Amino acid sequence: MPPQEELKRFFTLLTDMIYYTGQYLRRRRGVLPGEIVRQLYGMGYRSFPIICLITFLIGLTISLTSVAQLKMFGADLYLADLIGIAMITELVPLMTGIMLAGKIGASITAEIATMKVMDEIDALTTMGIVPEKFLMVPRLIAITLVVPLLIALADFVGIVAGVLVAKLSLGMPASVFIREVTAVVTLHDFFTGMGKAMVFGWTIVAAAGYKGFFIERGAEEVGKSTTESVVLSIALIIGLDCVFAFVLY
Amino acid sequence: MEIIRVRDLDIGYGRTVVLRGLNFSIDKGRITVVIGESGSGKTSLMKTLIGLMPPLGGEMVLAGERIDFNSERSLGKLYRRIGVLYQNSALLNSLTLYENVALPIRIHHREWPKAKESALVRTMLGRVGLRDGETKFPYELSGGMRKRAALARAMILEPDLIFCDEPSSGLDPITSAGLDELLLELRTSHGVTFVVVTHELRSIARIADRILVIRDGAIHYDGEYSDLPRSDDPYIQAIFMRKADHDH
Repeated sequence: MPPQEELKRFFTLLTDMIYYTGQYLRRRRGVLPGEIVRQLYGMGYRSFPIICLITFLIGLTISLTSVAQLKMFGADLYLADLIGIAMITELVPLMTGIMLAGKIGASITAEIATMKVMDEIDALTTMGIVPEKFLMVPRLIAITLVVPLLIALADFVGIVAGVLVAKLSLGMPASVFIREVTAVVTLHDFFTGMGKAMVFGWTIVAAAGYKGFFIERGAEEVGKSTTESVVLSIALIIGLDCVFAFVLY
Repeated sequence: MEIIRVRDLDIGYGRTVVLRGLNFSIDKGRITVVIGESGSGKTSLMKTLIGLMPPLGGEMVLAGERIDFNSERSLGKLYRRIGVLYQNSALLNSLTLYENVALPIRIHHREWPKAKESALVRTMLGRVGLRDGETKFPYELSGGMRKRAALARAMILEPDLIFCDEPSSGLDPITSAGLDELLLELRTSHGVTFVVVTHELRSIARIADRILVIRDGAIHYDGEYSDLPRSDDPYIQAIFMRKADHDH
């Protein structure tokens, strides 16, 4: 399929998602009751352990490599500044986005693509249900609610990793580290990271939905579509992150 | 009394016309079977009749009202008047049997009290012989049970007619015969109108009131099933000889 046709399909689905979400928020119809809670559970509760683990390990790695460099210049105290800014504005949103692309994006595409192959999407249509609304609105609302919580939690875990390294490598008390982080990181930085992650979350849902809905017929295509969905989401996330860096800094 | 009237209907994909100039009607309270070889366009015809594939030309009238395939409102009216039993059953795997059958109610009639929903769903499950399995998920059911559940879902809002795409597909002969009996019972005792797309001759012989035979992109035969044996058309005779071979 020509790239312009793919782009047209992607943006049609994106605008449909936004339109149907607005329509649902006004009328509360067309979505299965309880579906948003089910999605919140799948996206939030089942994602937070792996996201916490990954951000903790990244915080730990960045702190350990930075300590060695900062020590050479006698700038040990700046470890808190580095970790605070790097984790909150860049690493946590980016890594959370990539993790969610692999976990949630893949799951959305696999589920919708399977439904398409098994005629479930056609069945929804002939029941008078709009599949894009029925399937995408709960996921879009759920990711909008889940991302801020995940980011706040991941920010906290990333900072804790920095505190641990500062204490063990530099003997820096936790209170000093936290005071330094709060002095350097502003609310603007916090919300910048949160906003970026939110955009990444919406991108993942849109890309995953696109790859699910527009699968070519055939069960063997489900795996291929799922892989493509993850690759597309990660590419879009990194591209958008680059755009954010140009615009914000 | 006809429920659907089709005039000069052309069906196809892009510029490829699969079926050309179709003219026929579907009668209320009867079972109309659409038969044809693989690739003859049976599924395309059904997709058009259920509003999933706009025709290339011609018109379709449902209960006196012309269907505009470009209008969401018109298609919405069509969807409210039909039920569809898909070849794969197309039950939602994330929902239990009860939730699958209740889905149209929960989407279109959220204001209905739970008791009313529950009574209707249980009645419908009872009608298809599945009252005991309502908490099971589709992947826990046999092929025949899934078909019955999908039929209950298709009937839950009491549509004017139900389309069945290859209802016997993937079923053993006994289960398939059971499903045929169910269609006949629903037609006889509840006056349900069915359009069945199939190529199972045994099943056709059991359930068909009327036959539409599709061949070479057109309707080759349109008439009562009981008149088929008297047809001197060699193609129709060939179909019946195959049936005779099967029976032996």
